[in-house]
Amino acid sequence: MFNRTLRRRTVMAGVMLAALAGVSPSVLAQDLSGELVILQWQTGTDGQMWKDIEAKFMELHPGVSVREFQPAGGQGDARGGMRTALLGGEVVDIIINTWPAFRAELVNSGILRPIDEQWASFGWDDKLSQSWRDLGSIDGTTYGITYTYGDRSAIWYKTSQLEKAGITPPATWEEFLASFDKLKAAGYPAPVVIPAKYWAHTEWFETLLLRTAGVEVAAQLAAHQIPWTDPKIKTALMKYAEMLQAGCCAAPATMLATEEPYPTLYTSEESSYLLFGMWTNSALKNDLGLEEGVDYSIFQFPALGMGFDDTSSVDTKELNVTTNGANPAAADAFLDFIVGPDASNIMANYGYASPSTAMDGSLLGPVQQIATSAVSSSKVQFVLGDLLPGDLVDEYRVQLQKFLQNPTEATVDEVLAAIEAKAATAY
Amino acid sequence: MIGRIHWWTVILVGVIATIWVIPVLGIVVTSLRPPSEVALGWWRLDTFSITFSAWIRVWDEYPLAQAFWFTGMLAALATLGTMLLAPIAAYAFHFLKFPFRRLLLILIINAFVLPQQVVVIPLFTLWRDLKLIDNIAAVLIPYIGLSFAWSIFLVKNFLEDFPKELIEAAKIDGCGPISTLRHVVLPNATSPIFAVGVLQFLWSWNALLLPMLYLRSMQPLPVLLTKVAGTYESNWDLRSVAAIVTTIVPLIVFVIFQRQFAAGSQTRTGAKE
Amino acid sequence: MTRSVAEAVTDRSGVPSRAGGGRLRLPATTGWRIKEAPAAWLLIAPVIILFGIAVVYPLIDTIRLSFYDIKGLAPAKWVGIGNYVTLFNDSTFRNTLLTTLIFTLGTTVISVSLGWVLAMLCAFAPAHTTPFRGMMFVTFGISEAVSGYMWLNILRPDKAGLLNAVIGVFVPGYAHSWLGDPNTALWALIFVASWSGVGLPLMLCFAAVQSIPKTVLEAAYMDGAKPTSIMRHIMMPLSLPGVRVAIFINLLGALRAFDIIYVMTGGGPVRATETVGYFMYRESMTQFKLGYGAAATVVLLVAVLVISIPAIIQRTAGAK
Repeated sequence: MFNRTLRRRTVMAGVMLAALAGVSPSVLAQDLSGELVILQWQTGTDGQMWKDIEAKFMELHPGVSVREFQPAGGQGDARGGMRTALLGGEVVDIIINTWPAFRAELVNSGILRPIDEQWASFGWDDKLSQSWRDLGSIDGTTYGITYTYGDRSAIWYKTSQLEKAGITPPATWEEFLASFDKLKAAGYPAPVVIPAKYWAHTEWFETLLLRTAGVEVAAQLAAHQIPWTDPKIKTALMKYAEMLQAGCCAAPATMLATEEPYPTLYTSEESSYLLFGMWTNSALKNDLGLEEGVDYSIFQFPALGMGFDDTSSVDTKELNVTTNGANPAAADAFLDFIVGPDASNIMANYGYASPSTAMDGSLLGPVQQIATSAVSSSKVQFVLGDLLPGDLVDEYRVQLQKFLQNPTEATVDEVLAAIEAKAATAY
Repeated sequence: MIGRIHWWTVILVGVIATIWVIPVLGIVVTSLRPPSEVALGWWRLDTFSITFSAWIRVWDEYPLAQAFWFTGMLAALATLGTMLLAPIAAYAFHFLKFPFRRLLLILIINAFVLPQQVVVIPLFTLWRDLKLIDNIAAVLIPYIGLSFAWSIFLVKNFLEDFPKELIEAAKIDGCGPISTLRHVVLPNATSPIFAVGVLQFLWSWNALLLPMLYLRSMQPLPVLLTKVAGTYESNWDLRSVAAIVTTIVPLIVFVIFQRQFAAGSQTRTGAKE
Repeated sequence: MTRSVAEAVTDRSGVPSRAGGGRLRLPATTGWRIKEAPAAWLLIAPVIILFGIAVVYPLIDTIRLSFYDIKGLAPAKWVGIGNYVTLFNDSTFRNTLLTTLIFTLGTTVISVSLGWVLAMLCAFAPAHTTPFRGMMFVTFGISEAVSGYMWLNILRPDKAGLLNAVIGVFVPGYAHSWLGDPNTALWALIFVASWSGVGLPLMLCFAAVQSIPKTVLEAAYMDGAKPTSIMRHIMMPLSLPGVRVAIFINLLGALRAFDIIYVMTGGGPVRATETVGYFMYRESMTQFKLGYGAAATVVLLVAVLVISIPAIIQRTAGAK
């Protein structure tokens, strides 16, 4: 699905830019006024990016003032705070959302407004391919407009560390496991950093599941059409165990207390590999002042040779509009703006890839280029944890924490049985 | 104390007390040194420099100043409410006769058993239905309402030792119940009223759970503090500044009034000389 | 915040207070009997209204909601005691009961016994230890949220954590993740809660020790008693009233703990630090299972009530 997007972007970016710049503002800028409220839960550099995006929107639409609503009380997972806000009667126009399961929850609560009409009238088909539209749809009705996507099967590394250990980015699972000893010998005691305080320890399981069983199995598992006790799921978790037993990581307790991987990875120089989302790019560039592609880079998850090495886990962020928002006209205009050139290019400068053809692909840094092309040549599946119902995802994360503490076959059986028990009540 | 001073006890207590304040020292030092220097520990002296960078940046990066005033306002209103209403009610319960007096009193002073978790869900749904979420009344009402259990009890206990001659004299002078309260009781009950105020101030300044759930656009310092830890960054220097700003006012109030605390708890535990 | 409430609740609660204080009786006849009742109602009206909204209504509503199944915005469904049945079959909840018990007893035993011993030590040189008592009491004035941040700094899992660094002096390269290891996370929290809570027991016990009649201590000194035996045979038994207050306040505060858990561990790792008070928050305010959360709250309330029975009896009897 990403093939088409990418090809179009590279071929047509210049043309589209010129065309859009000339046409769209006059169509959109009419009579927009009032306040536009966005439920924005990102902080740090991502939060700053949103400030820039909103400022640009207000510049284009001087009549509109954008107000961010920041929820409190969602440690580790922003959904908790967002539920509190929305179910507490908070009225917003736009919701930033990265969890398909949460979108479904909001639709079921009657909070979201379909955007099929806007899709046609604004002509978003020119900017986003059908596959992106499908991604934001539930049963044929479109609710989300994707504004960024990321490779979740990319492993981050610091170039100097691999050089010091005398290795190149491993291409196969065996090479990957073998590189641990070399890295340790080079003075990096925990080659892989797994921030397991809240959720990031599930990333390894999720890509391993794709690589051992394929995207269909992962999709079936997300929908609970196959049980967690299925042997295929166990195989994936046993691969994870293999990696832990090969001495990839720090003590379980250290993983369970880690929520911020960057200090460990790049300040105290203890670890080398990190499987984490593309926001890492923005954090390394903007917070730690490292140079993309020079100081650090990524490689795609090593090949397992089990027939599914063309798969990748991806995430997206989308915007949803609400049924009760006070300013639907401005909200719709904002959706159009977010897939337009101005917003896409601001995001590209922060290191985020937009699926929109309006983005100038040349603005993306070298790391983001690697990720984009990896995704475009893969069969993709959305991050599993973000597809699971809220109640189950909690249990899933906790059980995998339990697995980390003692990655034996017995634990694997126990953990999968426990998740299955919860899943039986969660759908 | 009688006999000679046992210096070993002084030293032992001194050592423990020093250990006790180390965490406080830790965030003060962390807030004043560049993050690169303290990456391996705030106490390390490999290189040592002082910077006010975090102290300057934090005000721009987070609405700390606004939150500071807002917290002060919330705490002040909650404190005034309790300082005003509790003594009046305590007076009524102690000196006046009315139906259900004892029943109401028992209900109120035993409400201390309620954990704040009890109010979370009902008031959340009530405020939602009344459109009071994000209104300061949403936190002020529980702040004040929950304080009565101890504040009325505290003032009423004081009134039990109130010289009844004064009340009698007021009556003879023709004072009604309300003017007796105003002219005789309140002016002579400043110490418990003050103690109630200090306690309520600390409690409402430090509140986290209720404002986190009931307030939105403006949030007090403890809630802001939990947000300062960036989603994907470690900003120990900024966190430390925010922590210091959050705690400095209640800490000063506490330090100034700790004698009253100590003296108060002494009389209140029946440990009178 | 729970702490200061509990603190305020204190002392006047379960304790043999007001030893000799002559209780004031209302005079049999008064000049303003007629106007009394209306005036009284006028005076207590605001209190009754606020108390009704903030205490009585939530109490009744929590109990009512605990009999319903409410998920998100879906309509409430009557389930009788269904939520309670689910709760006690929920191994996560049973685990929170145990965690709450350990946390509550742990913080109470540590902070009260430490405060008590320190109070007795201080009593041997009251003037010279005043600044030290102040230093330890001051931590009591720091909010739980801020205490949590201070200790996150000390308990960091790497060598930049002071605790690890100190142990590292004896065991080179030592780095234990105190809050990441389910076996130590709860105890780390207990220690931090005790750290911030020790000030009050210290002050209460010190006051109690100070109130021991000087003649008793003088007599002991005359008999040549050692400080340790004075502590054991005179100070300990005679300061028990103060200790009882301290225990009660700590029990109340620890049972309701929320802030410190929220800031330091978020209930983790692997739910090792999830107490009933935190479980209630997670189920009702992040998962929005309001009925289920309400049932957990009722269980918490019952626990607090049981502990408070002596105090309730005392207060009720004293409510003249």
